Amino acid sequence: MASPCEVLVDSVDSGLVHEIVACAATEASRIERKFSRYLDDNLIYQINHSPDQFVDLDPETDRIIAFAFECHTLSEGLFDISSGILQKAWRFDGKHSVPTQQRLDELLPFIGLDRITHVNSRLKLPEGMQIDLGGIGKEYAVDRIVGFLRDRYEPGILINLGGDIAVTGVLQSREHWNVGIEDPNRHQQAASIFNIRRGAIATSGDANRYILHRGKRYGHILNPKTGWPVDDAPRSVTVGADTCTDAGIIATLAMLQGKHAENFLDQQGLRYYCHR
Amino acid sequence: MQLKRKLSGALSLASCSLLGLPSAQAESKWDIDTALMYYSENDRVSAFEPILSMKKELSDDEFLNLKFTLDSLTGASATGAVPSTQVQTFSTPSGNDTYLVAANETPLDPTFLDTRAQFTLNWDKPLERDLRRNLGFNISREYDFTSLAANASWTWDTNLKNTSYTVGANLELDRIEPVGGAPLPLSSQDPAASPPILRDGDTKQKHIVDILFGLTQIIDRTSLVQFNVSYSLADGYLNDPYKLVSIVDSGVGPNQGEPIDQIYENRPDSRHRTGLFSHYKKQFGDRDIFSISYRWMTDDWGIDSHTIDTSYRWRLDNGYFIQPGFRYYEQSAASFYRYFLLDSDAIPETVTADYRLGEMETYTVGVKFGYSDNRNNSWSIRLERYLQTGESHPDNAIGQLVNQDLYPDVEATIIQFSYSFQW
Repeated sequence: MASPCEVLVDSVDSGLVHEIVACAATEASRIERKFSRYLDDNLIYQINHSPDQFVDLDPETDRIIAFAFECHTLSEGLFDISSGILQKAWRFDGKHSVPTQQRLDELLPFIGLDRITHVNSRLKLPEGMQIDLGGIGKEYAVDRIVGFLRDRYEPGILINLGGDIAVTGVLQSREHWNVGIEDPNRHQQAASIFNIRRGAIATSGDANRYILHRGKRYGHILNPKTGWPVDDAPRSVTVGADTCTDAGIIATLAMLQGKHAENFLDQQGLRYYCHR
Repeated sequence: MQLKRKLSGALSLASCSLLGLPSAQAESKWDIDTALMYYSENDRVSAFEPILSMKKELSDDEFLNLKFTLDSLTGASATGAVPSTQVQTFSTPSGNDTYLVAANETPLDPTFLDTRAQFTLNWDKPLERDLRRNLGFNISREYDFTSLAANASWTWDTNLKNTSYTVGANLELDRIEPVGGAPLPLSSQDPAASPPILRDGDTKQKHIVDILFGLTQIIDRTSLVQFNVSYSLADGYLNDPYKLVSIVDSGVGPNQGEPIDQIYENRPDSRHRTGLFSHYKKQFGDRDIFSISYRWMTDDWGIDSHTIDTSYRWRLDNGYFIQPGFRYYEQSAASFYRYFLLDSDAIPETVTADYRLGEMETYTVGVKFGYSDNRNNSWSIRLERYLQTGESHPDNAIGQLVNQDLYPDVEATIIQFSYSFQW
């Protein structure tokens, strides 16, 4: 998952804890293998390398793609799994410079889910387009793991895949989990604490991924319609919701709202923490 | 761009289906529409019609629709023969029996009784992002008539789904097996006639091909407009084997205008029809819906028709609605339509006195009242009055026919009860 992952189990039974951790790790790697854009032997690779051809989707991939389309519609195009090719122009390693408008104009015609055909469990990408499920995959994995563990294990469990978190079970020692939200300016320090007993939280932020160019900070949240990072985006947004998938999408969309992030979050009726 | 809506509700519905969690949309159910219709003409035909329609979403945006209709008709229907000052004797359609028609009454065939069963299947499937295909099949069976039809249509959405184009075709094969065999066209049906009535025992066939082009344009958030152009070609046996034309006495005297023979009608063996349809629909204040449509049809039989249909649906409180409607229809007569023939004239090659091919106007006034909740349960009651009227005293009526009603009005009442639910 290219980020630190952890499983916390509220139990003294070390056999049980190992079993739960093994379950979580198995499912997390299965999903990573299946949906990673960086592997060349999975369906995502096949989709991205079969221009103008229908590729048959298995039921799980079909559901994820359908969900991505739904999010694209709900967000009026702001959430777009085809926007990954912007990374050809943007390198958020703190060093590279800002791309030219001309470079972005070359890429924009290849972004937009409305150019992609998804019917009858098949997907067809036009030449030059790619999809990247990075914006959903981690949150989906968290929800899948928790969904699996919920029915089988009683003790309280917290799954954390790189900051995307969900909990299940009954805590013995305390009332709820205390999840610290990292201060984007001070690594490893909590800026806020989220208490959760059930459900999930997800964070979207530019903590370590940005470009400083002529004194301006460009965060890694890109607007798929303009190709530019969103102006006045919060440094990070953390959202609590029933599922990690929901929390992640809302957090990402909040970032894309720039200076209106708090307004947008207020309307959603969900718990959130917005760091500017 | 600023998103101003609350998305979390719709989003969690979507993620529930992604994660296979229980949600309102967990499993696609059958949408069931049931209806009972009762149609009753004054002193003539009455029909009782139960309808069952079932629709299911097979997968995303792919629908299967099954529909069963049963029609049960009883009563008497006008034969096309003119009234007389004398009692008249007619053969029943089978030719094996006779019936009497009282003096000065419009001859009706009292043996009219039929049950029609119909099954329709439609399968609507998206092929591409903006392209849908609908395949349909229809079978209909009644005592003397079997109909098989297959159709296909494609709808292409463009302009951000604000404009849709449809092209469709329908192919229908009908087999007609008239009671007692098809009568020879233009032959006398008089049971006493000699030689005896000639019957053509073969089953008869007709074929119909329809082609349709449609355009639907969404004008704004509350209104849309739709245009269709249709073309239809029917060929084969297009007669109604039970319809007659009276031959009347043309001689000046007390018997002038009295029918002296009845012959079976004969229609051309092909019919080309062209139609234009336009429909406008508008929603008012997120509550009420106004709808108006106009249809023009013309064919090479000389029948031109115009239909205007309009309704207004008022949404009342608590899920109830009331919808008054009005429909006007007029048609010109077929070129071979005659109220009667004169015995002094040669019998034309094609002739009919079937009132349905005569000049007429019809008016339908109705109201629908119903209820629907948010869980796909709904019911409604429709009540309509129908009046069909034509020229009762045509200029060419002679002798006793001057005093007869040669095109009696038909009045009908229609009551329909519908109930829809999910299953």
